Amino acid sequence: MSAHFAFVRFELVRLLRSWKFLAITVGFPVVFYMLFLGERSSGQIIDGTVPWRVYLMVSMCTFGALVAALNAGGSRLATERSTGWARQLRVTPMPAWSYVATKVAASMLVVLPVLILVELVGLTFGEVRLGIGQWVGLTVLLWATALPFAVLGVFVGFMVNAETAYPVVTALMFVLGYFGGLFNPVSQMPGALQSAAQVLPSFHHASLALELLASRTLGAANWLVLAGYTVVLGLALAWKYRVEESRGLA
Amino acid sequence: MASVLTTRAPASPRGGSPSLSGAGASRADCPLGGEVALRFDGVVRRYGKHLALNHLPFAVRRGETLALLGPNGAGKSTTISLLLGLLRAHDGTVEVLGTTARDAVAQGRVGAMLQTGSGNGLPPGVKVGEALALVRRLYRDPAPFDTTVERAGIGPFVGCRTNQLSGGEAQRVRFALAIAGDPELVFLDEPTVAMDVDGRRTFWRMMRQFGQEGRTILFATHHLEEADQIADRVIVINHGQVVADGPGATLKAAVAARHLRFVVTDPEPERYDRLEGVTDVEICGSGVTLISLDADATARDLVRSNIAFRDLEVTGACLEDAFIALTQCARITGGEESR
Repeated sequence: MSAHFAFVRFELVRLLRSWKFLAITVGFPVVFYMLFLGERSSGQIIDGTVPWRVYLMVSMCTFGALVAALNAGGSRLATERSTGWARQLRVTPMPAWSYVATKVAASMLVVLPVLILVELVGLTFGEVRLGIGQWVGLTVLLWATALPFAVLGVFVGFMVNAETAYPVVTALMFVLGYFGGLFNPVSQMPGALQSAAQVLPSFHHASLALELLASRTLGAANWLVLAGYTVVLGLALAWKYRVEESRGLA
Repeated sequence: MASVLTTRAPASPRGGSPSLSGAGASRADCPLGGEVALRFDGVVRRYGKHLALNHLPFAVRRGETLALLGPNGAGKSTTISLLLGLLRAHDGTVEVLGTTARDAVAQGRVGAMLQTGSGNGLPPGVKVGEALALVRRLYRDPAPFDTTVERAGIGPFVGCRTNQLSGGEAQRVRFALAIAGDPELVFLDEPTVAMDVDGRRTFWRMMRQFGQEGRTILFATHHLEEADQIADRVIVINHGQVVADGPGATLKAAVAARHLRFVVTDPEPERYDRLEGVTDVEICGSGVTLISLDADATARDLVRSNIAFRDLEVTGACLEDAFIALTQCARITGGEESR
């Protein structure tokens, strides 16, 4: 087991030393938060549940989780696979599943500080005031439900090559962000886009957290969609890994 | 008999050509005896319709240093991938240290330095020492950190970031990663490809030292000189088949093929084929190229035969031609073997 921890730590060190990764992961959610902050009055109630200030913070947490997870996997993984490092690890006694599992674990671990960072922005600039229990509950929920994003990032890293990974990751960030209602409430979008949001994990990720803060029952549909994405992407990842393995590419 | 160059017939279907019938064809035995580290029996590997390995037979004794020599696309990397369990054989068996390739890797008894893709094969954003420390931890019983650093000569850049290394330095680091687990068996796929002459010399000295401790080493190269100088035994493969198998020196003599080029007014291919030492004939317009294993004898025979040639030119054949020469040679020896 210690070998797995060593590998996860190794991956974390690599992520935290990458200026590009840090700039994107910290920059995007924080800058977007600041940009959207003045867009509405902070007390405006969104969808009859929470005020804009809370809605925005939760949305930016989801966006931050998405950006961190996609960039931790994504192009970094695609690049590393093309250099032969992934193959080098394959000829060590480390089991094959460990490589994929480590990547997902490392992505999850970088999501947590991003969530906390966005929450700190919410606390300091965003006028968000929550009880300590709410802060903790919110953070745990947002973190745990970020798993489909982590799997998605690793999946993208396996599906595309080093050149196309970056644009694909960027496109996913903004498609999932915009159509998931993270930049603008879904209820204020045209009808077709409202139903599109229902199938996006980003929408359901934020919805769960908003329900928690509004003291509502956490919707089963949210859990179902997030779990569905995790399972389907996980299976697709396993399939892709097997195909590459049989071709000697993994 | 030990020093005799054994050659194998080309294009043998399953079961082998008549020259290879009997025990030799179905079971690849070590020519020198001893405990077997690797065995490749009738291995077939395809990429789509392309036949990368065609019933390849060979075996390597424990403690032996073997060179896999062949031009690009001969099947060297495919062979190593199969020996590491990265690829599966479509037919035949691959035996590594008495077990399957995958098990041998999983048991941490094997190390490998593979060809890199677009970068230097090392993870960016970490120090050399950190990468080595990680790979060590993946093995149950690794060599001490400092031992590996010394064996691979990477002391001066252990503290460097992996993306700050020169090509040759990166190769040495990858060698260190290959031997970090103190493996019994090491595969090196064209390990000196990015190195200058000095770098190569240093690298081979370190590798030879490592091999002296009773380890089995298999390396792929397309440099005949490297194969000859470093390996105890050289296996030449081309088009996924074993073309020749023997000690480097014998092999080198056999591939001392020469090109004899001349011009004639009216080429008569059947006449050139019969000349002494000729293994292959190429005709292009009025230009004739003979590939010969004994250029002197061929030249004498050419004069004696009253062929009206002009502009005779004798040059050393490149390795590619040497392989052709060997393939032809195999056909001849193969015929003799069957008697």
